[in-house]
Amino acid sequence: MAVYKRNYTAYTGTLTPVWTRVLVLARYAFDEAWSSKITVGLFIFCLLPCIGTLLVIYLANNPIARALVGVRGQEFAIDAKFFLKIQQTQSWLALVLASWIAPRMITLDLADNALPILLSHPISRFGYVFGKFIALFGSLSLVTWLPCLLLFVFQGYSSPQPWVMSNLQIAFGLLTGSLIWIAFLSILGLALSSWVKWRVVATGVIFAAVFVPAGIGAIVSAVLRTKWGLLLNIPVMMSNLWQRLLGAPAPFGDRFSVPTLAIAVMLSLAILVCVGMLNKRIRAREVVRG
Amino acid sequence: MGVIDLDGVEVRLANRIVLDNLTGELRGQAIGLLGPNGAGKSTLINTLLGFHLPSKGKASVFGLDACRDRAQIRGSIGFMPENDSFIGNMSGVRFVRYMAELSGLPSELALERAHEALFYVGLGEVRYRKVNTYSLGMKQLVKLAQALAHGPKLLILDEPTNGLDPVARQRMIQLIKDIRNEGSIRLLISSHLLKDIDETCDEVLILKNGRIASLCNIEEERRSNRSFIEMDTVGATESFSVSIRGLGCECAIFPGGRIKLVIPENIEARDLYVIAAEQGVQIRRMNQRRDSLEDIFLRAMDNEQGVNVQRGIANGRL
Repeated sequence: MAVYKRNYTAYTGTLTPVWTRVLVLARYAFDEAWSSKITVGLFIFCLLPCIGTLLVIYLANNPIARALVGVRGQEFAIDAKFFLKIQQTQSWLALVLASWIAPRMITLDLADNALPILLSHPISRFGYVFGKFIALFGSLSLVTWLPCLLLFVFQGYSSPQPWVMSNLQIAFGLLTGSLIWIAFLSILGLALSSWVKWRVVATGVIFAAVFVPAGIGAIVSAVLRTKWGLLLNIPVMMSNLWQRLLGAPAPFGDRFSVPTLAIAVMLSLAILVCVGMLNKRIRAREVVRG
Repeated sequence: MGVIDLDGVEVRLANRIVLDNLTGELRGQAIGLLGPNGAGKSTLINTLLGFHLPSKGKASVFGLDACRDRAQIRGSIGFMPENDSFIGNMSGVRFVRYMAELSGLPSELALERAHEALFYVGLGEVRYRKVNTYSLGMKQLVKLAQALAHGPKLLILDEPTNGLDPVARQRMIQLIKDIRNEGSIRLLISSHLLKDIDETCDEVLILKNGRIASLCNIEEERRSNRSFIEMDTVGATESFSVSIRGLGCECAIFPGGRIKLVIPENIEARDLYVIAAEQGVQIRRMNQRRDSLEDIFLRAMDNEQGVNVQRGIANGRL
């Protein structure tokens, strides 16, 4: 039917499988996030450390290049500690990217009250959140485990010795540590964005949610003379986790060491709180009290 | 199987009963949902969409349980909410396409249907503009377009003429009539405006305080209710009134030859002219009035019990 013919005809074509509707949400959320020039700028900025690291790995494995630049080989030890620094850098840059992207994905729907229309389609509340999660998780993957693993592969390819097989734990640590971090960031970003209608404020709230508890934790530790306040310090907790996953030496020494089980419990609790926040907020209708 | 079946549906929100023991079967092509503010119209719609779970009873749409089969129901429903509900920074065509894809249309077909739906509702020329730049009337129309794009079996319109100026309202009413006449879509139209329902619907469910005040076929209801006639006559008014009483009419005579009567269903105005001609009485003016939807609504609202089974009982539908 030509579009200008103003008569209604029922749709009689095929329908896509129900499970693919989540991917529709993810695709539109991804498009929305990446339609901003600031997102693209941030993405490029997030990849700059990787480009620098790429050069370092190249120099470390190329004596002629080192001689041309005038540096010694001992200055470039490509080991777990080296990759831990890359992972930490990329992970904190991912926080910057998440704090910009997450609000774009969800606050626009909330600002115009789009949830009643969106959820009146064959998509559940879980499906809605999962679709947005996939888009955010995918975006953050582009600056975390994907470039980190590519650097690992490049090091393995460039190294004159058989390097990859003896350092597989690094690859495992890079992948697992990044996946845990971006999954946590994604759920945190979506939960906080769902409660704040203004994007800029939501960005600030995401940063605050990561760093303010760290300050509170430091006060708790100082007042109670204990190290358990570190369980509120997400940067320290994650650094501990990444270091153990990569098999690198402890970055802050024993004073800032927290048991892995405690870290896992704290992250699980934080995720549960985020899920609760999303469950409360992502509804087609407000339930009027009283 | 009706379009919508309600079997003792009770919905509680915040420990308050919002819908109370709704029972009935809605079969009309276009069903009106009437009631004053707070009667439970939007709650009933939300229950049919699976947003609220009944605390008792069962609601079905096309025989599918509104709770258990909500994904299937939502796939066959187009919903136009009452309040602003859209994604403002998307263009009209992208928004409608997005909604069509969520309903299961493949991407390219969704785009094609989005264009068609927007032209159909009259937004073809502005379909590339962002939705948040639309006027209120346009926003209503884009909501209608997204509800239509995937070709639903049931179109639920919650206050479709809300906030529209008279011209836009008339355009919306005409669109609804066109959709109804096309015949492939059933309509459920919620409104507190009697005129909208009167113009578009053939069946009406009237809610009051969360209970069914009336469920009836509007045309049948009008036909079954009494017709009032007022006449000005010249001639033998007394004998004329005796004759028309003989037809079964209730009749009152007033000075100056004015007669007011209530005629039974089987008597037409033509019968009165025949008797008048036989008796040499001139009928100078005749004013016939049937029950309007307003009468039906007011009667339902006056019903203290809150449940007026009316025609439903006779039809075995309530």
